[in-house]
Amino acid sequence: MAVILTEYLDSFVRSCDDKKLIAIPLAVLVLSLLVSGFVFATTGAPVKLGMEFEGGTMIAFETQESAEVLELAYSAHSLVDARKTGDRAILQFGPMDGESQSELEKAITSKYSSVEIKQIGALYGKELQTQALIALCLSFIGMALVVFLIFRTAVPSLAVVLSAFSDIAIAIGFMNLVGIELSLGTVAALLMLIGYSVDSDILLTTRVLKRRGSPDENIGRAMHTGITMTTTTLAALVVMYIVSTFSYLVTSSVSQINLLSDIAIVLIFGLAADLMNTWLLNTGILRWHVRRSTPRRRRA
Amino acid sequence: MREEEVPKGLKNDIRVWLLIAAVVLSVVMIGPGYSAEEGLNTDLNYGLDLEGGSWIQIKLQGAVTQLDADISMLVTEIVESAIDAPIEIISVTGDAGEGYSNDGNTVTFTTSTYVSDLQMDLLGLGESDISYSDDTSSIVLSTNKQTLIMQYLSKALNTEVVPLFVGDGVEYEIRTAVSLEELQALMVPVGGNVLTGSDGAAIFREGVRTDTRDMTRDILSEKLNSLGLKDIPVRTVGEEYILIDFAGTDLTTAKEIVEKPGKFEIRMQTTGNESVHVLYGDSIEKVGIVTQVDGHWNTPFTLDEDGAFALQKIAIETGAITDPNSHLLYMYLDDREVYGAPLSFSAASALNEHPIYSWQASTGLDEDGKTQADQLQIHLRAGALPVNVVLMGSGQVDAALGEQFKRQVALAGLFALLAVAAVVFRRYHQKEILLPMVGTSLCEVIIILGFAGAINWQLDLPAIAGIIAAIGTGIDHLVIITDEVLYEGKLPSTKVYMERISKAFAIIFAAAATTTIAMSPLVVMGFGALRGFAITTIVGVLIGVLIARPVYGKVIKVVLDKAE
Repeated sequence: MAVILTEYLDSFVRSCDDKKLIAIPLAVLVLSLLVSGFVFATTGAPVKLGMEFEGGTMIAFETQESAEVLELAYSAHSLVDARKTGDRAILQFGPMDGESQSELEKAITSKYSSVEIKQIGALYGKELQTQALIALCLSFIGMALVVFLIFRTAVPSLAVVLSAFSDIAIAIGFMNLVGIELSLGTVAALLMLIGYSVDSDILLTTRVLKRRGSPDENIGRAMHTGITMTTTTLAALVVMYIVSTFSYLVTSSVSQINLLSDIAIVLIFGLAADLMNTWLLNTGILRWHVRRSTPRRRRA
Repeated sequence: MREEEVPKGLKNDIRVWLLIAAVVLSVVMIGPGYSAEEGLNTDLNYGLDLEGGSWIQIKLQGAVTQLDADISMLVTEIVESAIDAPIEIISVTGDAGEGYSNDGNTVTFTTSTYVSDLQMDLLGLGESDISYSDDTSSIVLSTNKQTLIMQYLSKALNTEVVPLFVGDGVEYEIRTAVSLEELQALMVPVGGNVLTGSDGAAIFREGVRTDTRDMTRDILSEKLNSLGLKDIPVRTVGEEYILIDFAGTDLTTAKEIVEKPGKFEIRMQTTGNESVHVLYGDSIEKVGIVTQVDGHWNTPFTLDEDGAFALQKIAIETGAITDPNSHLLYMYLDDREVYGAPLSFSAASALNEHPIYSWQASTGLDEDGKTQADQLQIHLRAGALPVNVVLMGSGQVDAALGEQFKRQVALAGLFALLAVAAVVFRRYHQKEILLPMVGTSLCEVIIILGFAGAINWQLDLPAIAGIIAAIGTGIDHLVIITDEVLYEGKLPSTKVYMERISKAFAIIFAAAATTTIAMSPLVVMGFGALRGFAITTIVGVLIGVLIARPVYGKVIKVVLDKAE
């Protein structure tokens, strides 16, 4: 798959002019920003906040009872949502006071097996929100600084930073479209995305700026390496997503591992966006920059 | 990549030996073993989400601030509410400025009701001298501003307030939740305000001092240990949080343990091993900060009225006031003796006259005495935490589920590695490249796990996600090295090869630097579960870049040379 993709992309990049290359990813970026902007305008957050950031209680356990039965049984406890995957029920509760919380936990742990509980106070959730935002901003700024230090030229560095930003923005837009909530796992994935996305951008920029040969040749070679890198990572993530999300289809008592599942799915889409951003957006800007700054006669 | 597989040219390379040493050491640290009962086991520590157990995170409520107020208004406010009658301030002497003054102030005031010595002593404002004429009590009170502010606030907010001298001012730690607005409103009746710093902002922050946070942590640890629950890590997270992990305990039990106060008791020896009950921990009103008097370390504590009278009564009944050395005073925490000493002669004779509220438990000289005094301070507080706390978060994963997560994660890791290997093989179609690549990745995993074993790092789900992330970038970097080496489709001469390797490493180091920088805010901020994730990612990337990947660069050349 990687080889076919690379060849197709390579010829596409060679045949298109820079403006067209840049226009496609920019359009996707704008669309994602619009989606997130709309969510922000309606809910006050750029992406739907999960339990860890809103506060509340999640209790999962093994049971044969259906979601409807459970919903009825626990409706007195500010139940927000009841779901079942295989034999496991997942109940989400809104914030409640300490005493009813303890009662509920006691009732459930004494009745069911394989219980998992996670409770976050509303206040703590608020604090985590701020911290997550700060962490994302600091990471991004730190990454941008390192990129500028490495290349020391404005346009190529900006191109790398822009495509990293676009990766994150598109991943968030995708989360909004599919209805994935922001959790500790997805924050981790967005941070990981910063690290992964610049890998291929740095490869591309180094090859194009510091090697002999025409930009198109260098881009083609970088693409071979870069797409192999991204596809290996994608392969690992797809497997991780399947194992952590769909194991219950094989053995119905098996639980989903939400943290890994969240990380995997956000990264899968982030990296898909990264393929586009690296090989169209970043490549387009870089090629335009190189052709502009290299005198014509030297390229004859 | 075991030793016997290393081709000849590599035997003189120090990096190769370094990698082999790291792998061997890591295997020792992981300590894999097999026993018939437990099956395959290792020395690795797993987090609660893989081992089963519960966790509780609490927040310490409080505020640290600097304040000023008017001395005569403070005295009026405090004394009037205590004696239920108006008072008239006659004079205030001494420095009334904002800062700390050693000399203190003398406040003289009169009131038309009878005020007893005991009433004034209980206010805890300082020494007072009372004289009566006709229907009027005149009181001369020696006090100072920080004591007045402290007593005023602790009464108004019903909490402990601890002043501390910082530079030229006094900082007050209020050990309960209070907002700046509430505090400002409280200071108005005493003609005071929250001081502002040079930048014009009020000197006020939510939270408590680091010392207080650490003391709360120590008290909790002590309490858990005294319940026979060893090895329960009580960690501080950031400035205001404390996180407690209960391995193998369910959440309901864990909450009971944290909420249930310890049982503290003071008993007095009658004869031989016999002793009688004097008071329980609820009679201890306040525990002071450890001090040193004439070389002896002391833990001061204050009893409430019932406690003070009970101690006096028992001391008289047992005869401790006449013969303190054969009637020792013992302190027990959860039925375990934590302190035993005779009453001092001065205290014993004073008890003959009146009850004593303020006590000092002397523990001895030197460092040893100080350690004991610190311990006693914790014991005296048994159960009662110095600050108000609120539950911020909690969780539970039961052991069976943890076991299942562990299997599932191992499965995910294994399949992910196979998937990566398949992609790599499809790309290069050479097992000479595939084997070193997968081998290097495995070495990296082993070294990361070995490192985790060596520093007793707890492997939880986020940490494992971090390892997967590190391996993911690892494979990326190996692809970069391979493609750089095979830049024009075939293996170059050694000189060109070295150039290319250094080019590849320039890219790899740059990529590793950005990943490390991107993850470091999480490490510094110490934010919930993601800290482990960030640390394993960084450690993994560093191990990969510094130890494993350079060796891959050497090995791939030798292997490809042979293949040609």
